[in-house]
Amino acid sequence: MKRIFICIFFLQFLVVNTAQSGGYQVSLHGHKNMGMGLIGTSLNFDASTVFLNPGAMATLSSKYSFMAGISGIRSTTKFQLEKPSIYQAATDNPRSTPFYLYATARIAENLSLGLAVNTPYGNSLKWEEGWAGRFLIQEISLQAITIQPTVAYRLSESISLGAGFVVATGKVDLKRKLPVQNESGEGEVNISGNTVNYGFNAGVFFVPIPDLNIGLSYRSLIKMKLDKAEAVFSVPESLSYLFPEANTVATSLPLPANLDLGISYRFSDKLMAGITLNYVFWSAYESLDFDFEINTTALNDVQSPREYSNTIIFRTGAEYRVLENLFFRAGAYFDPSPVNEIYFSPETPGLNNIGLSTGLSFVPMDNLSIDLGFLYVMGIEKDISFLPANFNGTYKSRAYISGFGVSYNF
Amino acid sequence: MKFRTLIYLLSALFLISCEPEIEAFKPDAGEADFSVYVALGNSLTAGYANGELYKSGQMVSYANIMAKQMIHAGAGEFRQPLMKDELGFGNKVILGEVSDCLGNDILAPVPAGGTPDPANFTSIFSEEGPFHNIGVPGAQISHLLLPGYSLYNQYFGRFASNASTRVLDDALDLDPTFFSLWIGSNDVLGYAISGGESGVITPSEEFKQLYRLILNELTSKSDKGVLANIPEIISIPFFNTIPAHGLLLTRQGQVDSLNLLHVGNPYITFRLGYNGFVVADAASEYDAMRQLEEDELVLLTVPQDKIKCEGWGSEFPIPANFYLSQQQIIEVATAIEAYNMAINELAGEFNLALVDINSLLKESITGINYDGLNFNTQYVMGGVFSLDGIHLSPRGNAIVANHFIKAINSKYGSTIPKVSPTQFPGIIFP
Repeated sequence: MKRIFICIFFLQFLVVNTAQSGGYQVSLHGHKNMGMGLIGTSLNFDASTVFLNPGAMATLSSKYSFMAGISGIRSTTKFQLEKPSIYQAATDNPRSTPFYLYATARIAENLSLGLAVNTPYGNSLKWEEGWAGRFLIQEISLQAITIQPTVAYRLSESISLGAGFVVATGKVDLKRKLPVQNESGEGEVNISGNTVNYGFNAGVFFVPIPDLNIGLSYRSLIKMKLDKAEAVFSVPESLSYLFPEANTVATSLPLPANLDLGISYRFSDKLMAGITLNYVFWSAYESLDFDFEINTTALNDVQSPREYSNTIIFRTGAEYRVLENLFFRAGAYFDPSPVNEIYFSPETPGLNNIGLSTGLSFVPMDNLSIDLGFLYVMGIEKDISFLPANFNGTYKSRAYISGFGVSYNF
Repeated sequence: MKFRTLIYLLSALFLISCEPEIEAFKPDAGEADFSVYVALGNSLTAGYANGELYKSGQMVSYANIMAKQMIHAGAGEFRQPLMKDELGFGNKVILGEVSDCLGNDILAPVPAGGTPDPANFTSIFSEEGPFHNIGVPGAQISHLLLPGYSLYNQYFGRFASNASTRVLDDALDLDPTFFSLWIGSNDVLGYAISGGESGVITPSEEFKQLYRLILNELTSKSDKGVLANIPEIISIPFFNTIPAHGLLLTRQGQVDSLNLLHVGNPYITFRLGYNGFVVADAASEYDAMRQLEEDELVLLTVPQDKIKCEGWGSEFPIPANFYLSQQQIIEVATAIEAYNMAINELAGEFNLALVDINSLLKESITGINYDGLNFNTQYVMGGVFSLDGIHLSPRGNAIVANHFIKAINSKYGSTIPKVSPTQFPGIIFP
């Protein structure tokens, strides 16, 4: 156990995630799943079920199942100021590396225990230096690592239930430029903090007839609350009295609940395919507030509306067994933007996304599977506004994600 | 073999471009021809700021900002009579931390110091001219038509084509295909910034006549151009920073002794809290002194140490050249209103674009959001005006340039790109 915790601690400093789904949700929870358009809930391949649908975990055929994987995300968002203008800017995001670790064990005939450690939410965005929106956001990194102990029970041949308790550790770090400057440059505020919050994950896995899987799973809202985040201001000396040192700020960000309903069917020995509807309760993100411990005439509390809407992501994917030990996968999804048309802030430029994915699994020996996954996400160009600051323009994004995982069952 | 095909397919995925591209906006001149753009005006057009005309200020004049944007719609070179350095004629102020008479550290405009390059005072026309930015600090409307004006105004003298030329001639000599004209502020400002003690307000009929003369000559070269109206002084920090009722009395003792001092003057009464400053007013029936009404305006140039430590505005009257009375404010406002009506009419008559700078600045009083920044007309912190409280900051110039561009685009169907004010510097704090 100790080793796992050391591992988590270490990864927390390594991992930086990027929004891949609508707002700041990252859905890379297994590379078989990733290859199939992230259909998730109706799959019961491996230990990733702990996260994707705890109910499915009880249906795994092997007694023990382990899985680990990592992805690399390269993403860029481009911005064009409202026309007529020729001003464009782009993000220069650091490459981010979400990961997962899953383990399951059947401890009684119909009872399984599992543990998931992964990164279901995150956002890492760094706009180019001096860009026009720097007073709204220069750089943001939001990382959430969740740890989820889980139990699942197989009620009958056709129905299994599972639930897990989610411990979410979050880390937020954001930088904004301030419109006060001296000879050496512009002022800046850096807000950073850590928090631990809780939620749950539950699922039902239903196999009404052989070869047909139906999954229904729900992950609860987790409110990432930072009560005393550090607020460090760097401003011209003559204005430092307006931005006191050792100030703190209270803020919070909801990690939205998800309700997934998926169905997959094994058409033959070689081919299986599925579709999933993924309902994301984004409306929980009403506003982004910053409540400073010490206010001054130049430093007021901020209540910035976001007014996100709930979205339904449509996903589909298929797996084809090419050779005895080689599987090919492909999938696609449409993930509509949850972001409000008039409160579209460049700190989370969530567009309507189309995801195209593919993947491979190689099974060199029984019980061992090496999985590769690739995902290409196109954020569809959109003219949009952030009215509170009258910051308007066109956004477009691309993300390219590749990764691999290993699963071992025995 | 299937396996190999798959590998090829997957490697191809690595090669998909990750860079999103948004199609670049393609500006267009519409019905206008920006190939020779000439900007005619006063200090605002020249790029005067912080009490002086200097190189980096000229680079961010609204005229230069606009000319650079016009290049995308086919404009040619826009030459400015640049000063050689950051000091110009030596009157520039910067923001500094100083101690006031009470020993408090305060932020205030202080002389920039340094010695200006002597070349700033010599004629540069033969070497660097002709110039497209013909903004002359201090120029009133009649000065544009005055032969030999360069002898009276060294700012023009240094870049005039010859000693006897008119400002307008130097503009016409370039054969402009497009012009901008923003003139008239100095026809009231000379009067207003002296507290009504010197200078005269140009009569509005004369203003309109001269304006028409200028447009007759300009439109003989180019029938396309843009005019801008005059901001009301209420939106200018020079006039609205120090409140008329700015005398704060916190102790009854102060109130009593001041009342005693002015006993018998029916126009002066003090009470706890904020009081009108005591000012000199020759028309006042008692002691030529009275207290300011709340809607009267104290000028930014009033020596604040004298108020804080030497009893100005309380024991002794603030001299008349540091405030505008209700009557004077009405004179100024009436003139500006008449000028703006004239400009509006002439824009229609000559079929030219019109920029409503007056409305823009009035909207800015309560604050406007623009490209992620908030601007207002507050002194120093508001972001629109420079430290002299009259002329624009670089970001203020960018916003004004955008309003010119908007007016031109809508009149002539052009699509000159706007600028983002965020790409221009703000006020430099110590």
